[in-house]
Amino acid sequence: MSLRAPLARKNMAESKQTPDANTGIPEYEYIDVNTKPFHVGSFRDEWLARLRPEDFSFQQEDEETFEANFAAEMGLGADTMAELKSACSIDSLRCHPEDEQLSMDDVPSNPRLKTLIQRKRKQERASSHNIHKNRHDFYADELERLTIGRPPEMGADRIPKGEVLLTINIYHPAVYEKFNFTRPCMTLLMTGSHTLTELRDAICCISDLQVCGEFSKTPDVAPDFISKDHFKSAFFFFEGVFYNDMRFPECQDISITTVEWAKAHNFPQYSQAKMEDTRFVDLKVKVGFPYLYCHQGECEHIIIITDVRLFHKTDCLDKNLYPLLTHKHRSLTQKCAVCHVFIARWYTTNDQFAPSDPCLFCDQCFRILHYDTEGNKLGQFFAFPYTDRGAFN
Amino acid sequence: MDASHKHVKADCEALLARFQQTQSVRFEVFANIWREMKFSQIFRGVVKHEKRAFCHLVLNTAYCYFLPPFSFQIRVGGLYLLYSLYYTQTASPSEQIHLALKDWEEVKKFENNAIDAQHMDAVYILRHLMFCKAFRFTAMPTLLCFQTNKVKERSVLREEFIERASRPQELISSGLLEEMSNVSDLYENMKASVLSQMTTPGDSSFNLIRKDLVSQLSGTVQEFYNWQREKETFDENENSQEDTSQKVCSNRAELLASIKSKAFGEAPETLKSRRHRRVEMNSTTEASAALLNQGYTRILKQSLRKRTRDALLLSGDVQMESASHTRISLLATLDSASKKILKEERS
Repeated sequence: MSLRAPLARKNMAESKQTPDANTGIPEYEYIDVNTKPFHVGSFRDEWLARLRPEDFSFQQEDEETFEANFAAEMGLGADTMAELKSACSIDSLRCHPEDEQLSMDDVPSNPRLKTLIQRKRKQERASSHNIHKNRHDFYADELERLTIGRPPEMGADRIPKGEVLLTINIYHPAVYEKFNFTRPCMTLLMTGSHTLTELRDAICCISDLQVCGEFSKTPDVAPDFISKDHFKSAFFFFEGVFYNDMRFPECQDISITTVEWAKAHNFPQYSQAKMEDTRFVDLKVKVGFPYLYCHQGECEHIIIITDVRLFHKTDCLDKNLYPLLTHKHRSLTQKCAVCHVFIARWYTTNDQFAPSDPCLFCDQCFRILHYDTEGNKLGQFFAFPYTDRGAFN
Repeated sequence: MDASHKHVKADCEALLARFQQTQSVRFEVFANIWREMKFSQIFRGVVKHEKRAFCHLVLNTAYCYFLPPFSFQIRVGGLYLLYSLYYTQTASPSEQIHLALKDWEEVKKFENNAIDAQHMDAVYILRHLMFCKAFRFTAMPTLLCFQTNKVKERSVLREEFIERASRPQELISSGLLEEMSNVSDLYENMKASVLSQMTTPGDSSFNLIRKDLVSQLSGTVQEFYNWQREKETFDENENSQEDTSQKVCSNRAELLASIKSKAFGEAPETLKSRRHRRVEMNSTTEASAALLNQGYTRILKQSLRKRTRDALLLSGDVQMESASHTRISLLATLDSASKKILKEERS
């Protein structure tokens, strides 16, 4: 009798906690690291249930209407309202006389705020070292400038209000030695109604452009054999479900090996679904948690969904521009060993003409050095088509 | 950007500390402090491609002061800070304030509290921000990238800003006390009826509960509350400035009254949600501390030139010579020309 009572109390306590896997309210699993899994569609519905339609519409309300409504709701007279408006006006925040034109690019002299003191110190240090601007900073906001502030499209091309926007970071393949998990290779913005196949098509990986095979005897035939066309299978892995790409007849289910291995080794059961049938609003994901994208059978990328939110009027509202690229990592390109001007396209080994083994050449230098005027192969060498990492710069 | 996060936080806390000392929740008071500190200069000197990221950082830092567990006055200060930063930022088009879904209830409660206490400027500013679409409705307040490598110093929330603990008052509410007195009366009656039938009624082993439990409990809670108030007014008297006007005092009194009425009233659910979050914070810090690797710190090496210079112990003339240009080319120039060059060098 006494044993049963504590159990009953424990069950009661458990049932009191609301299971938030079913509600769409994201909570931290580990603070500032990632959230618990939540359903994207439910998240959207939760927000839309809490907001009034004018809160998330893209049109700007009329200010006078807003003030009139506010005064009516709070029961304020016209005088009180005018007083309130002037008391809360932004003009009271101005820190310099009205006619003084200040440049916002200079740090003011005699700064009192700690941020400014540190910024000034950093600027002085930077100017004394004469650090050159690097290419990452130079192009940092290039993509952003193209899209932010575009006038909203009208008509069918416009994103409907209340749509969900996801920010997705895609990282370099696991075989890269640098920047494996720190710098994203690219950042994409997707809408909730996009399918996973659209994300897959938007991901640019150079392994898709690689050509397998030795082409020293037939250098002109090479471009017909791009890997992307040969090996079309790919999958995404989100929260225990493998989403396979089955659009083309050549596509195979490459996740089946993992699923069967897991079954045989007492792992939790994984399930499978089709990439082309799943939209982002149907997914149940964790924000900030790494997931997997695998293509070409062995090229694996980590994918992290960094943010999920409702569309705002300052976002790009043209449906045709999505998936939208907002950040791209710029890799150093390998140049030809001969001219140092063009990007390398051929990779040779066992080459008697080359200064090193292996060696990189651009197309022109390669042909001039290794083939005579009729196109016959000269000397001994192996030649492979080379795709540079910076091909997408 | 991580270093500037610390400084931005320090600046915001300095502003809010001064706001707290004024013991007012009026926007004019806040604007005075803002102008005095020339806070809008915080955006000056930011490099072009970092503007948007900096504005995002500043708004994020200010956002946490708008939510519990900070006291009502600090939250109002946080709201004013968000409003001011949003309109003085330099990113164009403006960077939005990220409002997370889990914080929506708190924001609504704050708004209702402000309406009940008739703080019209706070309500107007909040509604104005909604009207101008200054908020982005997100899942989480920041972008999450699974960064377990960086050992983030868990920011210690400033003690003075946190709401005064009112857990005892909220646990022991009037409804609870009534119920307890009912139950204890029932118990006494049952005990009396059972004892009257027994042979040894005077046995002290039957006295298992405290007599007058309910009145003692309410007395203790009242004492605690009075002690808290006295302690606070004592601290304020130590720190207060000379010219605290009567109007401000009455403002504060009505503020306290509104909070007190809420504390003794029904709403234990506010604290429950807050408490839940506190517990969560503690347990996850332990879990994540176990997860985290030893911190990855980046050691900045001095340049080779500097290291060589420091390593070589040059003395006197040799050092001076090594720092200046070589004069070997003077061997091949005419005497008159070389004298001119030497003169220029010396001057």
